[in-house]
Amino acid sequence: MTETGLLLDVADLVVRFRGRRGKQVTALSGVDLTIREGETVGLVGESGSGKSTLGNAVLGLAPVASGTITFAGEDISHARNRQRRRLSRDLQAVFQNPYGSLNPTRTIGSTLAEPMHEQGRFGRAEIQRRIREVLDQVGMPADSAQRYPSEFSGGQRQRIAIARALVLSPRLIICDEPVSALDLSIQAQVLNLLGDLKRELGVSLLFISHDLAVVRYIADSIVVLKHGEIVERGPAAQVYDNPQAEYTQRLLAAAPAPVTHVPFESR
Amino acid sequence: MTSSPTPAPDSTTWIATQPRNRRRRGPLARFIRKPLGVAAAVLLLLGVVASFAPSLLTSIDPQAADFANVLSGPTAAHWLGTDSLGRDILSRIIYGTGPALLGVLIAVGVAALVAIPAGLAAAMFRPVDAVVTRLNDLVMSIPGIIVLLMVLALSGSMNWAMVAVGLLTAPGLVRVVRSSAATVTEEPYIAAARVFGVGKWKIAFRHVLPRIAGPILVNVSLIAANALVTAAGLNFLGLGLTPPTPSWGGLVADGAAVMNQQPWTLVPSGGVIAITVIAFVLLGDAIRDVTAEGWTAGRSKGASITRATTVPATSSDDAVIESADALLRVRDLSIAFPDADGSARSVVQSVSFDIGAGEAVGIVGESGCGKTITGLGVLGMLPGGARVVSGSIQLDGVELLELSPRERAAVRGKTIAFVSQEPMTALDPLFTVGYQISQAVRVHTGASRKRAAARTLELLEQVRIVDPKRVARSYPHEISGGMAQRVSIAIALAGAPRLLIADEPTTALDVTVQAEIVALLRTLQEETGLAVMLISHDLGVVSALCERAVVMYAGQAVERAPVGELMSTPLHPYSAGLLSANPHFATPGSRLQTIPGSVPPPDKWPVSCHFADRCALATEACRVGPIPLVAVAPGRASRCVRVDALQTEGVAR
Ligand SMILES: Nc1ncnc2c1ncn2[C@@H]1O[C@H](COP(=O)(O)OP(=O)(O)OP(=O)(O)O)[C@@H](O)[C@H]1O
Ligand code: SF4
Ligand SMILES: [Mg+2]
Repeated sequence: MTETGLLLDVADLVVRFRGRRGKQVTALSGVDLTIREGETVGLVGESGSGKSTLGNAVLGLAPVASGTITFAGEDISHARNRQRRRLSRDLQAVFQNPYGSLNPTRTIGSTLAEPMHEQGRFGRAEIQRRIREVLDQVGMPADSAQRYPSEFSGGQRQRIAIARALVLSPRLIICDEPVSALDLSIQAQVLNLLGDLKRELGVSLLFISHDLAVVRYIADSIVVLKHGEIVERGPAAQVYDNPQAEYTQRLLAAAPAPVTHVPFESR
Repeated sequence: MTSSPTPAPDSTTWIATQPRNRRRRGPLARFIRKPLGVAAAVLLLLGVVASFAPSLLTSIDPQAADFANVLSGPTAAHWLGTDSLGRDILSRIIYGTGPALLGVLIAVGVAALVAIPAGLAAAMFRPVDAVVTRLNDLVMSIPGIIVLLMVLALSGSMNWAMVAVGLLTAPGLVRVVRSSAATVTEEPYIAAARVFGVGKWKIAFRHVLPRIAGPILVNVSLIAANALVTAAGLNFLGLGLTPPTPSWGGLVADGAAVMNQQPWTLVPSGGVIAITVIAFVLLGDAIRDVTAEGWTAGRSKGASITRATTVPATSSDDAVIESADALLRVRDLSIAFPDADGSARSVVQSVSFDIGAGEAVGIVGESGCGKTITGLGVLGMLPGGARVVSGSIQLDGVELLELSPRERAAVRGKTIAFVSQEPMTALDPLFTVGYQISQAVRVHTGASRKRAAARTLELLEQVRIVDPKRVARSYPHEISGGMAQRVSIAIALAGAPRLLIADEPTTALDVTVQAEIVALLRTLQEETGLAVMLISHDLGVVSALCERAVVMYAGQAVERAPVGELMSTPLHPYSAGLLSANPHFATPGSRLQTIPGSVPPPDKWPVSCHFADRCALATEACRVGPIPLVAVAPGRASRCVRVDALQTEGVAR
């Protein structure tokens, strides 16, 4: 990874939701996070720790109570439609549930075309060309464009969702548990795909997952979140092999790791 | 970054990603295949013709009185008979169609125009929601008939009355739109659209509306039916359209007046209203189905196996199995679902394994491999018309498949218990945790209320719940997911079973909680000698609890082995692939070994090796016929003809 400029800078971010009976729930209290150009940051923590909220706040899907989110030098803490539309060229997302992440009533082609239509500066032919290109990038046949989501398996849908995120050639993709709902062999395919994109397109990733092994595999650095606060951060290998915070140690100890496997190549 | 480089994923990774093939018909072609919908459409089209050009359908003047033939009943001249003034009833029905359908159109139009935007707005904008809900409640509390009478009195026009009908029925539609749209807006694809900066209204009409078209159509067809009946009712009372103008409601009134002399006159007038109502509903249903079929894959509903197809015998299992005194002994178990055409689609084929008393055995494999169905088959609770096609399931030497349903139910819970992936769904939200456990105790042991209450607290302690008294008084929504899983294990233990089938018991839980549940199962196993059949896609969980594992792939057991040996030297290419795909063992930055493609659906399973299309070691020998599961080492069996090659070459190349 090359040392290039700062892409995302989240400073002292606080997010609150209106909970039941009007009570305020603080989901994030004073979180700092940076992502550099080309860097992959893994965000781990248990459910309810605020992982998704952090990603959603960057994407404008969660309300920012205080603090700032700066993307490529621009304050986007409270970006609305027009600014979002411009932003979406550089900032994209892949969500967890492969079954809900595509509109079942629209063909893959029209799902992939939507971001470009929204930009309003792509011609018909260009849109078709780009759709073929991203489908190819994620390893899906070109005729997928005429089909509906129900005709694809979970792993294939997740690849299509990644294709949609790639369509505008973004600089940062927020991946919220992108492989959690997938089977191991499919998960490996999608992780490889993300790895390739990272290497070959130089795109940055904020990779949110509860699975430390997956995060350690894909991320350059790891941030550990607990109850809306960061308890540990550092280079991936360091956090994984030598965790400092008691909470991180607990997370690692709990993850059921198969213990005795010797891969074939190494025999 | 406009000319983005194309990472060409290596070809082995991406083969076999062809989407399932299915020919798609256009909407019209799909509609034609619905006889009821077509009949309704033809009928309503006829109604439209009658509205615009009634003279095309009848040459008789609706006002022409034939005093020679009053109340005639059906004759050659008057097909549906005549009324008390000798006027032709058929002609009057035809001439009455226009006003009837116009009224329906107005009511439906007004209701849809008001309710759909209002419902969508309520679902998508919080502040609007409060206003819409209030207004809705207000309108619903207005006595409709009084409003209608007032509108008629003030305007004297049937059309304004139908506008009022539309407004009065809108609240029901608002509710339907609001609640179904609210569910859809939670879906991630809506979030994705927002990330693109798509405006809220565009999202509402482009992404939400098509998804909820089904419930809307059904509701609209009911509104249409209701409007028609309301209009007829008003006309029956002589309101709106006054005689001698023909109206359907007026015809019913005429018929009612002469009911004693000629009861027949009520039949055509009442009949046309009834038939039109039915046509609206059927057309609504058909259009809903046609729209949904546009984007969903066909699925069989309520089918049952009528044509008994024998499952291709995958050769019986000649690998000698573990213990002679197994608690559970499953042999050549095959299970099939009924297909739409009545044939059997086998989803579990010839699976054999043993579980000794007090032993934990894992069933591993990817989604759709038949793990859950195997577990439910042992339990005797197969879903959706599935049945055991062949094989044997022995528990303590007793053949379960020969038991009557009642005997089978007695075994369930008492000797074999079940814990599922979603603990919350196993608990009834309306009753306290303690009540539900004590009910289970009483059903299985016949204990008194008092004894059951004491046993409940014991069970909660047994599943390591710290404050059993308090938890027993709690309702399911008041406890966490991990706690709920403990409670459902406590319920499973109520009958003091000897075998616990746990289907993905930790998958829905956080990692730390997962570890606790696995530890709990282990303790229970040690303390009570409970045998466990652990179904999981996660080899980590299986290795933490089980001594032996059965790997399933596409309906078959492909490998059986002690867990440690399975992990160090897998003897089936699929098990080996699963292990190398695991990021736990990978070097960051290197590519993961993948198994190309995905698990094929049951109707694509070949007779020969099910894994052949994804297997790096596949040769001609793998594709000629069924592959038997054979003993390959002491205590180990594999369903692969190239085990030797696997051991020398490995799968990773
Ligand atoms: N109710 C049903 N109707 C028709 N087919 C079904 C039904 N339930 C399961 N099947 C089919 O049976 C096969 C085996 O399903 P099963 O649920 O046993 O898989 P599994 O290994 O438990 O998968 P998972 O890991 O996703 O739970 C699948 O191909 C599935 O499509
Ligand atoms: S039988 Fe052939 S195709 Fe099947 S798993 Fe073995 S080597 Fe692969
Ligand atoms: Mg299952």
